[in-house]
Amino acid sequence: MTPLLTINNVKLTIDGRPILRGVNLIVNEGEIHAVLGPNGAGKSTLASLIMGINDLRAPDSGEIIFRDKLVNGLEITERAKLGITLAWQEPARFEGITVEEYLKLSGRNNPELDVVECLNLVGLDCSYLNRFVDDTLSGGERKRVELASVLAMRPKLAVLDEPDSGIDFASMEDIANMIKTMRDRGTTVLMITHREEIAEIADRATLMCDGKVVQTGNPKEVGQKFKTMCVKCEVRNPELVGGE
Amino acid sequence: MATKNVLDTVAKKFVQIGLPEDLFKKNRFNLLVDRNKVIVRYPAPGVRSEVVETPTGVKTKVYVEPGTKLEEPVTLCFGAAETTEVQTTEGEIVVGEGADVKFQVYGAMAEGIKLKHKNKLKVRVEKNARFEFLDLHYNGEETFVELETETDAYVGENAYFRSVFKQTRGRAGKVRIVLKATVDKKGVAVFETKMIGKRDDEIYVEDVIHLNGEESRGISKSRIIAVDETKATFVGETYGNAPKCRGHIDCSEVIRGKDVTVKAVPVVVVNDETAKVTHEAAIGSIDKKQLETLMARGLTEDEAVDVIVQGMLR
Ligand SMILES: Nc1ncnc2c1ncn2[C@@H]1O[C@H](COP(=O)(O)OP(=O)(O)OP(=O)(O)O)[C@@H](O)[C@H]1O
Ligand SMILES: [Mg+2]
Repeated sequence: MTPLLTINNVKLTIDGRPILRGVNLIVNEGEIHAVLGPNGAGKSTLASLIMGINDLRAPDSGEIIFRDKLVNGLEITERAKLGITLAWQEPARFEGITVEEYLKLSGRNNPELDVVECLNLVGLDCSYLNRFVDDTLSGGERKRVELASVLAMRPKLAVLDEPDSGIDFASMEDIANMIKTMRDRGTTVLMITHREEIAEIADRATLMCDGKVVQTGNPKEVGQKFKTMCVKCEVRNPELVGGE
Repeated sequence: MATKNVLDTVAKKFVQIGLPEDLFKKNRFNLLVDRNKVIVRYPAPGVRSEVVETPTGVKTKVYVEPGTKLEEPVTLCFGAAETTEVQTTEGEIVVGEGADVKFQVYGAMAEGIKLKHKNKLKVRVEKNARFEFLDLHYNGEETFVELETETDAYVGENAYFRSVFKQTRGRAGKVRIVLKATVDKKGVAVFETKMIGKRDDEIYVEDVIHLNGEESRGISKSRIIAVDETKATFVGETYGNAPKCRGHIDCSEVIRGKDVTVKAVPVVVVNDETAKVTHEAAIGSIDKKQLETLMARGLTEDEAVDVIVQGMLR
């Protein structure tokens, strides 16, 4: 197995508060890797650091390595050109940009781009092509369009921050299948989720708590650990995550 | 009217600054004016018009017969292919009862020219009529226009009037746009302004809507992007003077650069307890999340800004 993304002892403090306290994580090429963990564990912060968004261009210390390249400090566009992309937990809304335009922009370097297929894969039909990516789309529709745009881009690594949130229960299977399709087409997926049934499609999973990785391994086992340990953990449990 | 030769020269210059070539190829113009000369005039069904050339421009009177319904827009162009000191256009448009028409008006100022353009327009949209007036401006990047335009509209009972001012291409220059509407019972007035200012452009937009009829509606929407040292001011005034009238002012100005000066002044006045007028005004730089989203798909920051700005100006 070849590591595609390596997170090496990454630490980050925001406003004097340690948010990431030495995160270690390897995402292998071709896998779906789920990240689980309670609210505030630092999952989205880690995702931001991988993409370089939200002014999080580099951790205070530690390394983020994509293939053999250190991405610490790189511009967002440079990371995207290496083949990294991210789908936001709460995607942005755009005035005056249609779904079709958005997908075409996302997939402008994908020679096999088929925007209708991308929409179909996230459970939307072609009537959405000329809808605007603005606040006239429902929350779930907007999330689907975001996933379609990742499909359109066909990156090497897709960081999906809660691709299942805002998606109705009945459509969970569609989303799970879509993520598998993404992987089958050569995109390695790092997905943050709170849902067991989505985590279960992963090849491996990582549990994060209080800015640290607790465990990486089989999704079922990691999910079990999340349920039994984190749920009981009333305060941040130093035994669980280890002290500084 | 002009020879084909003159038309070809004008067409070339206007297409160069972005006017769709098809307008010329497919003879779409009902009226085409270069400075103070009428180059094309072609009647539209159900539309009577008078056009008089003046020393500095043209005066037009347009009467849309009651009940006229047109699928295709009436297409007009007031432009200048060469520098001239001043171009004055004066117009009067009456849209008869129950008519439903759309005017597509191109303002075309050829690359590199300089001029003052003054425009005065009176509009009357009669009972139950629908009138859309799309005013699309094309300037060259090195064109300098001082534009002063004033529209005064009366929107009759249950009538609909939408006026869109869009600076589609090139440099804005020094622009002063004043749009006024008085809206009668159940009538609707919609003003939209979409512009981008660059270098030392100056933009002033004023929308004034008087909701005088019961259940009348007014919307004043502006999107102004200010780059470099642009000065931009938007003044939106809506007066809710009648029972159950509704007005909304929505202005958003995006600044890009340290040296821009941008002002937004929404004024809402309500004189009836059942009237309701609301406003939202936002001035700020380009939304970071929008920018980062597009960059995460591989666009450079400049490309992303362009996409976002063009979307807002759409
Ligand atoms: N810009 C910031 N300023 C201050 N605190 C921040 C900032 N960004 C994140 N945090 C804090 O860092 C912690 C981790 O946040 P993060 O968004 O990474 O959590 P998460 O694991 O994604 O949680 P959730 O499951 O709720 O999405 C939280 O306590 C949050 O309040
Ligand atoms: Mg999160």
